Amino acid sequence: MTHWQKGLTSAAGVLIVVAFAVSTAHSWADGEVTYERIKNADKYPGDWMTYHGSYKGWHYSPLDQISSKNIDKLKIAWTHSMPRAIRGLQSMPLAADGVLYYSGPYNQVFALDGASGEVIWYYKQKLNEDLVSKQTHSPYNRGIALGYGNVYMGTLDGKLVAIDMKTGKLNWETKLIDSDKLTVGFTGAPLLVKDKIIIGSQGGEWPYRGPIFGVDAKTGKEAWKFYTVGGNEGTKSDARKTWGNDSWRTGGGGGWMAGGYDPDTNLVWWGTANPAPLYDYSGADYKNAGARPGDNLYTTSVIGLDPETGELKAYHQELPHDAWDFDSAVGEFLMLEKAGRKYIVHPNKGGFVFVYDRMGKPQNVWRLVKNINFVQDIKPDGTLVGRRDLTEGDHKGLCPFIAGGISWNSGSYDPRTGLYYKVGNEWCMDLTVKKTTPILEPMAQLNIGADFSMVPPPDGKIRGHVSARDPLTGAKKWEVEFPEPPLASLLSTGGNLLFVPDPRGWLRALDATSGKELWKHNNGQGHNGGIMSYLGKDKKQYVAVETGWGGLAGDDYASLFGKPYNSFPKDAGTLVVFTLQ
Amino acid sequence: MIALQRVIPGTLLAVRMQVPATVAQPSDKQGETSTAKPRDPAQIFATTCGWCHHKGGREAGKGPQLMGTSASDGEIIYRIKMGKAGYMPAFGTAFSEEEITALVSYIRTLKPR
Repeated sequence: MTHWQKGLTSAAGVLIVVAFAVSTAHSWADGEVTYERIKNADKYPGDWMTYHGSYKGWHYSPLDQISSKNIDKLKIAWTHSMPRAIRGLQSMPLAADGVLYYSGPYNQVFALDGASGEVIWYYKQKLNEDLVSKQTHSPYNRGIALGYGNVYMGTLDGKLVAIDMKTGKLNWETKLIDSDKLTVGFTGAPLLVKDKIIIGSQGGEWPYRGPIFGVDAKTGKEAWKFYTVGGNEGTKSDARKTWGNDSWRTGGGGGWMAGGYDPDTNLVWWGTANPAPLYDYSGADYKNAGARPGDNLYTTSVIGLDPETGELKAYHQELPHDAWDFDSAVGEFLMLEKAGRKYIVHPNKGGFVFVYDRMGKPQNVWRLVKNINFVQDIKPDGTLVGRRDLTEGDHKGLCPFIAGGISWNSGSYDPRTGLYYKVGNEWCMDLTVKKTTPILEPMAQLNIGADFSMVPPPDGKIRGHVSARDPLTGAKKWEVEFPEPPLASLLSTGGNLLFVPDPRGWLRALDATSGKELWKHNNGQGHNGGIMSYLGKDKKQYVAVETGWGGLAGDDYASLFGKPYNSFPKDAGTLVVFTLQ
Repeated sequence: MIALQRVIPGTLLAVRMQVPATVAQPSDKQGETSTAKPRDPAQIFATTCGWCHHKGGREAGKGPQLMGTSASDGEIIYRIKMGKAGYMPAFGTAFSEEEITALVSYIRTLKPR
């Protein structure tokens, strides 16, 4: 792999002491959310101001009012139902100064009093409904960003909008993608970095080049865009030659989950999606043959961009010539340090977890999932061993299943235990790879390149698990198995708790140290979205979790597992908020 | 018919030869009437429908099994064209009338494999 700017100074060797202990006298800002405030999120433990909780990307709340010692007193404080919640809630609530903000399908946003659930304002984007009805990965929204008095959201029809945090009125909107022509829009959360909003487009199965955008956070003016398919012409990132026969025109890529930011190197880290078609018939000679000969940069990669210019500063392609749709679109970039060395941890859909230095050079790769055979292994330096490249025809027992050994929702890192909690999926697939005519017109929709079906893994039943591991080595401390893979994000807290929203509708609280289940509550429908914790204006700790069913992975559950999934509504989503009674 | 996916002369031939020709420029003429040959329904399943209707429509996935469906031709055509919010996108402008008719025929002839 190529890594640029290897000579850049990292903070390796500099001992940085991170304070994990949280004072009971929580800081309170009650002011504007800014880059500096998000950068110093440790000082605002009562807030959850960005998708991944902070730039550290831990999905960890240091709040400790709710703990393993009093969890039996955790009850519902209030609930809020999202109108027209087709495919449920899949976003991540945010909170600042006691106000909770969350988004839902059809680009709706609510601001609610975090203690009472009282509606402060409601925003609904005007959309081209005809376009939305044609989109496959729609109408869900997976999150928002806060900053400079605005709530930022990407829309299904290709806009970035800024909504006034106080009033819910539209401040500005900028058209970034011609979605009426290209089908794709935005479903992922934006990320505020300095004076820019970073947002990645959908891509993957569509013939477009999956750009990631930088937009002036105050004016809405587009500052830059980076094409994840082939890079930018006229710059050293131009990698169209890695797409033989000009196959970059069939596209894919994109960055449909919010990435991370490392203030130490001033790099935005983003995970990119797969090339199209998903399944290539090239066989082992993928450099020269098949639908898209070559490595297909910068798909299925992690890329480090300059937030000011969008210039590509570093990258690592996790799966060169991804022939299995095991992309790198997972948005988690955990910023960690140990023994004076700094790391980035990023999970890949294929079931491996990559450990990088802060410039994207692999330091280790470990398996979260047992049933993997699309490669025999991935070496610690990131080299793939024993690729299972596919040819036209039938293939039995490819593992994992297309939905991935790791799905897009986030795990959680608890700095008190030093453990990384993450969902893994054990499932496989049979497929028939087909040579398909290159799809160049966007409205032709998907570009898969195979028929397929799900099958159990070689070692037993289809299942999922939540495990607690050393994030750098993968050493497992404990694991809890689930009969169906959980699909929602996880949350760890300063109260020694790990919250696991499961697909059947149970919100479970585990002892973060031992994995022992301490509490559970049935929310009545499956979880496929976010969970976070914050302080209300009454200074009480709340835990907010999203419900609602209909995500791309969960949609297979009704035919696969039967009840309760075959009776879940596909048009309901509720935000359920808990506190101590 | 809206030009939504053009079959590129030469590309198809190249695919058969396993040496793809250079992929043609993406069209900037969307909305034009197409004279393209309708795509084979099995190809459409491999690119699009199979995402939800597994094994080429022989098994349920995100969507129902289509082999042996009790739905009428009219119901199938309506669902393909109009979709259903939360369940299936509308493909009424993605596929031509001829292709939709061919998809119905394909579904009617599905056998286990």
